[in-house]
Amino acid sequence: MAQLRRDPITGRWIITEIEHPKGPADFEIESHQKRNGNCPFCYGNEHMTPPEIEAFRESGTSRNGPGWFTRVVPNKFPALQIEGNLDRLGVGIYDRTNGIGAHEVIIETPHHEKELSDLTPEEIRHVLNAYRHRSLDLRGDKRLKYMMIFKNYGQSAGASLEHPHSQLIALPFVPKRVLEELKGAARYYEYRDRCGYCDMIDQELEENERVVCQNAEFLAFAPFVSRFPFECWLLPKEHASDFSQIQDKDLVLLAELLKDLLSRLKRVLRDPSYNLLLHTSPVENFYEESYHWHMEIMPRLTQVMGFEWGTGFYINPTPPEAAVSYLRDTQVQKND
Amino acid sequence: MPELRKDPVVGRWMIIATERAKRPTDFGVGQKVEEKGISCPFDEGHEGETPPEVFTIRQEGSRPNGPGWEVRVIPNFSPIFRIEGDINRRAKGMYDTMYGVGAHEVILETPHHIRSMAELEESQVAKVITTYAHRLTDLEKDPRFKYVLIFKNHGESAGGGNILHTRSQLIAMAVTPKLIKEELLGAQHYFDYRERCIFCDMIQQEIETGARVVLETDAIVCFCPYASPFPFEMWILPKRHSPDFWKISETEKRELASVMKRALSNLSHALQDPPYNYVLHTAPFRREKRGYWKTIEEDFHWHLEIMPRLTRVAGFEWGSGVYINPTPPEEAATYLRNSEVADGTIKARSHHG
Repeated sequence: MAQLRRDPITGRWIITEIEHPKGPADFEIESHQKRNGNCPFCYGNEHMTPPEIEAFRESGTSRNGPGWFTRVVPNKFPALQIEGNLDRLGVGIYDRTNGIGAHEVIIETPHHEKELSDLTPEEIRHVLNAYRHRSLDLRGDKRLKYMMIFKNYGQSAGASLEHPHSQLIALPFVPKRVLEELKGAARYYEYRDRCGYCDMIDQELEENERVVCQNAEFLAFAPFVSRFPFECWLLPKEHASDFSQIQDKDLVLLAELLKDLLSRLKRVLRDPSYNLLLHTSPVENFYEESYHWHMEIMPRLTQVMGFEWGTGFYINPTPPEAAVSYLRDTQVQKND
Repeated sequence: MPELRKDPVVGRWMIIATERAKRPTDFGVGQKVEEKGISCPFDEGHEGETPPEVFTIRQEGSRPNGPGWEVRVIPNFSPIFRIEGDINRRAKGMYDTMYGVGAHEVILETPHHIRSMAELEESQVAKVITTYAHRLTDLEKDPRFKYVLIFKNHGESAGGGNILHTRSQLIAMAVTPKLIKEELLGAQHYFDYRERCIFCDMIQQEIETGARVVLETDAIVCFCPYASPFPFEMWILPKRHSPDFWKISETEKRELASVMKRALSNLSHALQDPPYNYVLHTAPFRREKRGYWKTIEEDFHWHLEIMPRLTRVAGFEWGSGVYINPTPPEEAATYLRNSEVADGTIKARSHHG
């Protein structure tokens, strides 16, 4: 059973593992490459994962067997578990609750050797559709307040399995970083009666210094306040706070632009490790007008050091304008 | 000139280090850092290889920028901030920007080529602490600065670089950093409600419970915080309420040196010299005109946070600010307490199972 704990000062929550705590010998100080010969996420190994929650598959194929495009399974080693009660309680000056939530793995493709950017827009659409479906489905559980969808690609981005996958963690609270962003956006809106992200899109399009690529509905740019070199954001041009309300026709356009953006990063940075985060509104959405969903893609090129940890200041050795000049120039091969 | 930029939504500042601009090919992805050669610019006798010193504790009769020093402070070779110039905060459309005016110094903790603070004598650690206090006192006089951050990167994955000579860093800046401000606001909020310092309350509860205490002396306590974001994280605090590190007493200094050395040695032995960062959290400078920290004297309490780098911070942690810590602090404290050093051998009590 994991336990959630709240920092009484910053309000930051952490999750700690009570039943299977790690000892000093459990930690690997040196990183090393592992080659997993028998991958549980590959075709034919469906029995190696917990039974699937949902899958997009060819008609006529059966559950937990081959024939799928994108498959969602519970995480075998979940950070949070779905059974039980929250049981909030105080321990002296501290607060705690049980670690209730959902932790799912979205297997993006049956092809072990491919990466998200190698998939066709149609295949990426399945992945994005899985994001949407899972977010909507988990709303049925009233204990869950926020669905965090993310992808860790490569060891230094925290991926432990090579097979292309994303993850979803549903939390019984709105996490601190998200809340900060929601509240910040709400403050901006209160002051100007406009969405801050819409303003950002306008300014980026007008200045055109940091735009990487775009299509009719979506825009990708390196944010003015990039914390990391080659950090990129991808947003819908039309105001929308909740990713899960995205229309089918837009899903295709999003898939196309995401592929374009990831291919550029892959080409320019020689297949870097990266984290992809989907920032969207919480289940109880008080932020429809002020918040704007977006994806953040952060290549893992620099190490976060003591200074960054201590301050929340990030040192970015590549200004976004410079990053964009590389990302724009690169020739991206058209799919197929 | 480096530039600071403020996120208009979250209020987060960041630095554009234009002079450190990197091209895609400059990033070594996953390369291993090894100590290059044997000549270390931080060793005694190599003073000419560094920028001129800012401050030193040195033996009587020895000359500036020559041998005979015990602790030496020099400007950083490639500083994030520059000491000269105006801050010039201004708007760029919806964004805010300003120049990166500040001080960036390196504190050489020993004249000898020693890789870790844990290997220094207690008396030497005390001199490092004296140096921290000196630099804080001195930089307080520059009205451009609001905050001085003192920190340490030990080991490659903590950003310790490729020269294995133990050192700390100092950055003086024109803004109070976001995470420090959050902590200050949190402490202030608690004080508003209870009229007590939250850190004093925490110390009292930790000593009473005992489960997370690693080390304790008359004046200083070290424990693994209840809500540690990172495995084996430790905090070191003075028992006496005090917001400003630079007002540390002689007794506290001596005992802090002892606790720091033992805590870092225990950490090193429990986890085979893991990479770690530590960050000194002290109150910001109170400028007469800027009176918004009304109760800071009463509500804030300086402390040192030691964060071993054992887990990777991945997408989820970045996106949520929620950290997954696989070792409960009570477990961590047990290991850290029991990991004692005798004659250079390790006597770490083994874990059940």
